[in-house]
Formats: sequence, structure tokens, C-alpha cells
Amino acid sequence: MSKPTEQAILDELRTQFQQELLEAKVTRDRRIFIEVSPRAYKPVMDYIVRTMGFTHLSTMTGLDSTEGFEIMPHLSRGGAVLTVKVRVARDNPMVETITDLIPGATLYEREIHDLVGVVFRGHPNLERLILYEGWPEGVHPLRKEYKAVQPEPLRRV
Amino acid sequence: MAFSTFEVPVGPQHPALKEPENFTFTVDGEHVVGVKLRIGYNHRGIEKAAESRTYIQNLYLMERICGICSVAHTTTYAQNVEYALGKEIPRRAEYYRVIIYELNRIHSHLLWLGVAGHEIGFDTLFMYVWRDRERVMDILEMLTGNRVTYAINTIGGVRRDITPEMADKVRKSMDLVEQRVTYYKKAAAAEPTLLTRVKGVGILRTEDARRLCAVGPTTRASGVKFDVRAEDPYAAYDEVPFNLVSYDLCDVLSRILVRVDETLESARIVKYCLDHMPSGPVRVKLPRTVPPGESVSRTEAPRGEVIHYLRANGTDKPERYKVRSPTLGNLPSVCEMLTSKGDYVVRIADIPIALASIDPCFSCTDRAAHFVDPSRGKEWSWTFEQIRKYARKD
Repeated sequence: MSKPTEQAILDELRTQFQQELLEAKVTRDRRIFIEVSPRAYKPVMDYIVRTMGFTHLSTMTGLDSTEGFEIMPHLSRGGAVLTVKVRVARDNPMVETITDLIPGATLYEREIHDLVGVVFRGHPNLERLILYEGWPEGVHPLRKEYKAVQPEPLRRV
Repeated sequence: MAFSTFEVPVGPQHPALKEPENFTFTVDGEHVVGVKLRIGYNHRGIEKAAESRTYIQNLYLMERICGICSVAHTTTYAQNVEYALGKEIPRRAEYYRVIIYELNRIHSHLLWLGVAGHEIGFDTLFMYVWRDRERVMDILEMLTGNRVTYAINTIGGVRRDITPEMADKVRKSMDLVEQRVTYYKKAAAAEPTLLTRVKGVGILRTEDARRLCAVGPTTRASGVKFDVRAEDPYAAYDEVPFNLVSYDLCDVLSRILVRVDETLESARIVKYCLDHMPSGPVRVKLPRTVPPGESVSRTEAPRGEVIHYLRANGTDKPERYKVRSPTLGNLPSVCEMLTSKGDYVVRIADIPIALASIDPCFSCTDRAAHFVDPSRGKEWSWTFEQIRKYARKD
């Protein structure tokens, strides 16, 4: 896929969603990144999946940016990877599920729910997936306040 | 009828592979009607650990995500950092990455073929295939110095070069692999013991493979032509000719055929790369800090698409590093395969081979030494020394 195609994808999204599209860039061949406002997240995803044909969800990244959280589904179509970013407030980390659009998102959303602590509204089953049953509620390892165990520094003996 | 069903827990000791995960099967007599899954037994917190390590240190951390496709993760990682830096690496290094990547695929597919034979009680196949796999392991040891964690990739290229003598040895071994695998293919297609155990078992229909976003040989065996090497070429794949292998039988047999054909393709790719490798350096020095930004890198591991996401903050450590290994992408599909519906019946005896047919790797799927005492609602961390002391206590 060449540059014009990536540009065409961006143009189509810009005309469709205008100011709801907060950021849009092409970083290299076949790599497109966009950011959408939280209320436009579901309609944008619907359009991207059902109309534009980005039907393969590679994965979803959850990220703690200290001010809030970012949820990023990475979708692909014919080699092009489209990353959609949506920001979620820290005090009420909640976002719409996309499992109804892409059933393949089920485990990825559960993983983020476990490790970052974002709730996906409408998810069929948000049970624990990775952390074990006895893990304390409200502790999410991928949040920045959670400190991982540091290995001991090497020393000469 | 709900009252006639029964729940059978399988795992955390895996029935097919020596890795832990847990499935709860709902069975109605001999038929499997529902499946619930539980993973995380191998979660090592690698994504979190990556945030406190430098880009160079992370290379060795990524190597250890998976013992079978270690090179898949380092290639994806090194590439991702190179993308974020906006730098190209020497062409020779890209060819060398393809060679190691494909040798890795051959050893992984042969390993799987042996395990699949073992799961259906065909241990002769297991013995033969694993003997041939040893040849590939020897080649990898010769090229990289290691049998498992190759440590060949680095940010900016590869760490060793290949000599003409080594290339000759690799060519000879590839001829042997081709000859042996062709024989297995012929033998398997005519072996009734094998066919009756795998034909029509573990069905994943094409639309389900698409809907559940399956990856790798699992999706290609369901007739979906999805291969990162072909549609999103990385390293030297844009110059290397190869056939995208796909079958549409949608069952375990189909997955065996895809992997057998891919092994043959890989042997050819390795030989092509040896013949067409340009001369020149194999690495360039790249900066140790990455400017702020984000990048996504994908490769096609033996088990399917690997995707890594990097958020850089301008320091020598990543802000966030996300890893998705192919097995996690295939788990919804395996649950689909293991559920009877309509005329399609899954029997308890089919569970091991159907599970094994996606070639699951739970080490990479689960990615803290953190301790939690649920009875007291307490959590704490220990250093290695403290754990050792605790272990010595009577």
C-alpha cells in the first residue's frame, strides 16, 4: 500500500468526523494514528469497522498517562495498521465496549480491565482474566502508581 | 437440558503442552457444549518491567517472552525501536533477520508437528520429526551461538555475520529438511490412523476466524489469506518471493497441512536469502534515547501475528511497551472450536488435539515477584535474598 492510500484513509475520516477527530497522522508506510473525542469513540469505531472494512483487531493497548488513561485499539486492513486513541478520565475510567462490533475484542478488553482498571460499558463478561482471584480489588499493575519489584543491583562477591 | 450437563476442569496442568492454563468444559455426556477459560498462570509482568529498563536491556527481556519464538519478539521489538527512531538498518542485516526468523519457524513447526503426533497417539511421527528438528537447532546454534535464546538481534541490525562455510552448512540442512518434510506430507496424507483423528475435528469456520480475529496458521487453515509477511512486509520480505499457504478444510488436518507447507516454504526462503544477501555491514550504531512518539511493529511469528506498541518519552526507557503474542489472539477461536453446535460435535477425546492445533504458547500469552495474601488482604514485595531466606526457613 502506498502513501496516497494512507492519505485517503485520513481524508475519509476527516470528512466524516471533522472536529471529533482530535489528531491524525501517518508516521510511516502503513502506520496511521488517530485520536478521537470520547463521545465519538463508538461511532468512529463503527464506521471504521463496518464501512471502511478494518475488520481485523490486532490488539488493544491500555496506557496510564498520569492525567488519565488512553485506550488504543489497533485495527488493520490489507497491511495498513490504524491505531485509534481515546482518552478516559482518571476519576471515572469508563469507555464503551467494541465487542459488539468485533467479537475478537473480548479478551483484550478483559486484559485492560485487569491490568489498567478501565471499565468497558456493555462488555458481556468483564471477569478477571490474568490476575488471580485473590488479587486485591482496585490494584492495577500497569498503572503508574503501582511500583514493580526492582531487581537487586549486581555486586562483586 | 441444563440438569444433564457437568463441568470438567482441565488444567492448570495442560493436557497437551507443558504449560499452565485452565479450561472449564461443560459436557453433556461425551459432548462438549461450553468452555470457559482462565489464563495468567505464567504472567511475569514483562510489560511493566519494560518501563524500568533501558531500550538495550529490554532487548534481552523481549528475548525471554517466549522460548520457542524468541526471535519473533526481538525482531518485532528491535524493528519497533528503529521505526520510532526513524532509522533504516543495513540491507544485509534485514536478510539475516529473515534467515533466523524462518529457521525459527521451521524448528517451531517441526516441534508442533511432533507434539501433534504425540497428542493423537502417533509417537513414531513425534520421534522422527524431532530428530530432524535437531538439525535445525544445530544450525541455529552455529549461526547465533545459542539453541533457544538466540540474542542475534540488536537495535540497528544483527550482532553476528554469516560466513560462506556456514551458509553451505545451512543449505545442506535445508535440503534435508525439505526432503524429510516432503516425505512426512506424503506419509501423513495416506495414513488412516492420522486422518481419522484429525479430519473434521476442531472446526473453525472462515467467518468465525474473521469475526474472532484469529491469526497465523489457525486463520490460514480456515481459508483466510492473512499473513503479515505478505501484506505488511518487514525486514527483507518485500524482496523475498514466497507462497502464502492457505487451506480451507477448517479443521485440524487443515492446520497440519498449512504448517507442513509453510515449513517447506521457509526452507526455500532461507536458501533464497543465502543466495541473494547483499554484502556490507550487518549493523549500524543508533542513539540510546528515543524521541517522544509512538510506533507499532508487526511480524508473522510461527504462531501468527505478533504486534508490539511503543510509546517513547524522550528518555532511554520506554513510557509504555505493549506486547500481544499470537496465542492470545487465537484463544477466542479455540473456544469456538471446542463448542458443539448443530451437527458439529466435539468429544472429550478431541480436546487435546484441538487445543494443540492452534499451537498455544502460554509463556508469551501471560506476561509480577509480587506477593498477595488474600486471607489478610495484604500485599508485599520481596527481594530475591528474602525469598531465599524464606525458603531456607523450616
